[in-house]
Amino acid sequence: MKKFLLISTMLGAAAFSMPAAAETLRIGLATAQSGGLAGYDSPVVEGFHIAVDEINAAGGIGGNVMIELIEKDVRSDAAQTSIAAQELVDEGVSVLILPCDADPALAAIGIVSSAEIPAISTCASSPTLPMIGGEYMFANFPGDNVQATVSASWAYEQGHTSAYIVYSPDTQYTTMPLYFSEVFEKLGGTMLGQDTHSIGQQDFSAIATRIAALSPQPDVIMTSSYEPDFPSMLKALRAAGVTSQVIGSDGIDSPTTFSLGDVGEGVVFTTAGHATEGSPLAAFNAKYEQITGNPSETVFNAVGYDLVKVLEAAVIAAGGSTDPKELRDAIANLENVQGATSLITYKGTDGMPVREVTLIRVKDGARELVGQPSPDASLIPAPRMQ
Amino acid sequence: MLTSPRQHIIPSVLAIVIAIVLASLLASALGAASERILTVFFISLIAVVGMGVYSGNSGILSFGHLSFMGIGAYTASLLTLPANLKVATLPKLPDWLATTEIGLFPASVIAIMFTVFVALLIGIALGKLEGSAATISTLGLLIIIHGVLIGWRDVTRGSQTFFGIPRETTLWSAAIGCMFALIIARLYRDSVSGLRLRAGRENAIAASAVGVRIRRERLVSWVLSAALMALSGALIAHFLGAISPKKFFFTDTFLLLAMLIVGGMSTVTGAVTGAVAITVVTEVLRRFEGGFSVGGFDMPAVFGTTQIGIGAIILFAMFRKPEGLAGLKEWEERVFSRPHAVKVTAPIEQPTKDTQPLIAKGMTMRFGGLTAVNDVSISLRPGEIMGLIGPNGSGKTTLMNMLSGVLEPSSGKFHRGEELLSGLVSHEIADRGIARTFQNIRLFPNLTVHQNVLVAALSTKGGVNAAARADAALERMGVIGHAHDDAGTLSYGDQRRVEIARALACLPSLLFLDEPAAGMNREETDSLMETLRMLTKELGIGVLLVDHDLKLINQLCDRIAVLNEGHLIAEGSPSEIRNNPAVIEAYLGPNKD
Repeated sequence: MKKFLLISTMLGAAAFSMPAAAETLRIGLATAQSGGLAGYDSPVVEGFHIAVDEINAAGGIGGNVMIELIEKDVRSDAAQTSIAAQELVDEGVSVLILPCDADPALAAIGIVSSAEIPAISTCASSPTLPMIGGEYMFANFPGDNVQATVSASWAYEQGHTSAYIVYSPDTQYTTMPLYFSEVFEKLGGTMLGQDTHSIGQQDFSAIATRIAALSPQPDVIMTSSYEPDFPSMLKALRAAGVTSQVIGSDGIDSPTTFSLGDVGEGVVFTTAGHATEGSPLAAFNAKYEQITGNPSETVFNAVGYDLVKVLEAAVIAAGGSTDPKELRDAIANLENVQGATSLITYKGTDGMPVREVTLIRVKDGARELVGQPSPDASLIPAPRMQ
Repeated sequence: MLTSPRQHIIPSVLAIVIAIVLASLLASALGAASERILTVFFISLIAVVGMGVYSGNSGILSFGHLSFMGIGAYTASLLTLPANLKVATLPKLPDWLATTEIGLFPASVIAIMFTVFVALLIGIALGKLEGSAATISTLGLLIIIHGVLIGWRDVTRGSQTFFGIPRETTLWSAAIGCMFALIIARLYRDSVSGLRLRAGRENAIAASAVGVRIRRERLVSWVLSAALMALSGALIAHFLGAISPKKFFFTDTFLLLAMLIVGGMSTVTGAVTGAVAITVVTEVLRRFEGGFSVGGFDMPAVFGTTQIGIGAIILFAMFRKPEGLAGLKEWEERVFSRPHAVKVTAPIEQPTKDTQPLIAKGMTMRFGGLTAVNDVSISLRPGEIMGLIGPNGSGKTTLMNMLSGVLEPSSGKFHRGEELLSGLVSHEIADRGIARTFQNIRLFPNLTVHQNVLVAALSTKGGVNAAARADAALERMGVIGHAHDDAGTLSYGDQRRVEIARALACLPSLLFLDEPAAGMNREETDSLMETLRMLTKELGIGVLLVDHDLKLINQLCDRIAVLNEGHLIAEGSPSEIRNNPAVIEAYLGPNKD
């Protein structure tokens, strides 16, 4: 017993005599490293790591808050997201990073709100995510309604007056064309019709035939479907002789879209940024290539970098605190954080950040910047479940 | 009603209750993370035993049970989801459902009842299928229900996440659910229905021949297992708080089936063992998945390790323990292997009162172009022994199969008294006093000798006095000493005797024996002859005996019928048959001189 007392006293003394340990920001990543969303979450997490390594190498956030990551794969599945989020909360993380789509991210809302820990989806763009998710849920991407407003306005300005939409009711993200048609009609355009498909459908010949039979042909076909549906849909449309302008969204900002050859030429889509010369994104891309040895092929690398920048700014704004509630309040009040893709503002939003939307055209198998217009706020549709 | 001794059931139920309570207390002491792991384990275990109730007892592997878990989960969630959230996320729900908001317990009960109803409809349709056709059709079921969950968007939110479900499943509610499921599964296994179903799994033809209605028992277990799956589904939905149709599809089917197969399908012990083994391995691997470092060596994150791990365990189990880690017996059956000495009370066998002869006319069986039995008319009276002989391929077994309902005759009719028996199926004929044995022994090899015979007694004559009838039959055939051995482990001669005992337990007035003396030595054959004589003399049973042992036939039979190439070529007393030129020719070939 004496011995035990002695040892415990020594241990206690040792603990007290140690220098106060630097504060650590524990971030829990419950992201999709396998399954259908891995194509987005993997590059995001890659960019995330670059930023974290950079900050930690410089001594941590503000020089003293080191970042520690705990990572789990949620396999693009709602139930797994719920389980992983709960485990990360148990491990005492200060911030949760959730998968790229609103659907699996929503699976964690019960956990996030009862644990009162801020959660940010890597790249979900559905404005309904923070709306339903409550005050602890944030997004990290231009909202679907904002993207649709940008693309619809651009189309109308180009003189396109009729449009057709193809969407999938399977996820909220793939219903973005419904926002598009709302804005397009508000501007004075005419909707010629709509089609739905299911995710992973592969065969789009029926839809293509239906559109090819329209007379007159729509000026624009808008969809927010992504791989593997988008390439199949595009090929089917072109094979059926449809030559309308095709407009997509950030989900097709992937190497595939630029390697489709003639079929892909002329496609325009909205995304989170473009590396113009001297821009922060160009600087990030150079850094990415230097670290990994490969050029960055998608803007989602930079989006991951943005995410860490947001967290860094929040910790600094909270005076170096890693307390989840203080961090939440800090995130909600961030203004003009310089990310790799654009300036990011949460202040005055319900958790869906204000960020730049970029329009890109596929030209000669490469990106061509169409513009980075600011949307007319009065045109942006209210977020809704659809 | 239970068929196994209290010495098995009581320790088993006690062990289930104690183990679950202890594990729950331990997990509560260890903290929230362990509580959650155990909660998921309990919920998975409910599903695993649920699958086992059907697949283990019937022997038909089902890939479709996750559908019932899905139906249970969605039904319960629709009932507990807060009304305001329902209005926001499912605007097209009918009013009565949109405004319903009840607790987890009543919601689970309703979900189970609804699932049972669905399972009943599906089960009636699927019950017509056998073997691999049944297994493949369960795969179809999984895909169809998955399609319905995705397609019925107004109610299920389609493939989008169904979220906002109140997270009301606690460790203790999962523990109570699990206790309930394990006990139900354990009791069902040794219920009359469970025993009959297991007999059908071991040998469907023989089970039918002793009166088991396999399809009905399959339906019972199908519906019961669906109820357990629904319970598991309701609990997991209210644990996770969010579900999607993907949760009830291939990945989880694979995980839960892996637990069942690794542990051993046919026992509750196996289900528990498998669930523990797979859970331990996945929990360990999942922690390594995110990367770790050992002694300065950094292992990078490798996602997918868990699935590879489960695959590896399945391979290991299939190579080393193809019947699963726990084998084919419950733990208590191994520990208390000889629970009670069989005591034979006063013989309860009564001479048969059924004295109507069996009369068959014009029996014909054609297999494609081959006529195996051609226009044979024959009769058999209670109290007599009739021999049926003929060269190999002469149609003896086919005739016996027709008369016992195993085969449906191409033409011809047979009846007893006023009652027409042709057209009845095997188990109906067994219940009308005609029992049989098989040329190639068809015992239920993994059931005990006692269970082999008991299941016959339970499935005929309304199951009245079944235990005593079984014991008396075992005693009469001299195999009561083997009562607690597995039938498949007995010697050849003993297996033949058990088969006859099993037929006797049906209290037949007519008994068909297909080569009962095959593989017996002279002494065993003599003792068999003695037994058969007693059966006819004391109980008035009529015996139709097929055998190649002509000495046995000659000494034992009152009459002999001879078949050759499907035709009845002679019938008469042994001495008449011995001197019949047609018979001699059939056996020895035409006389050349």
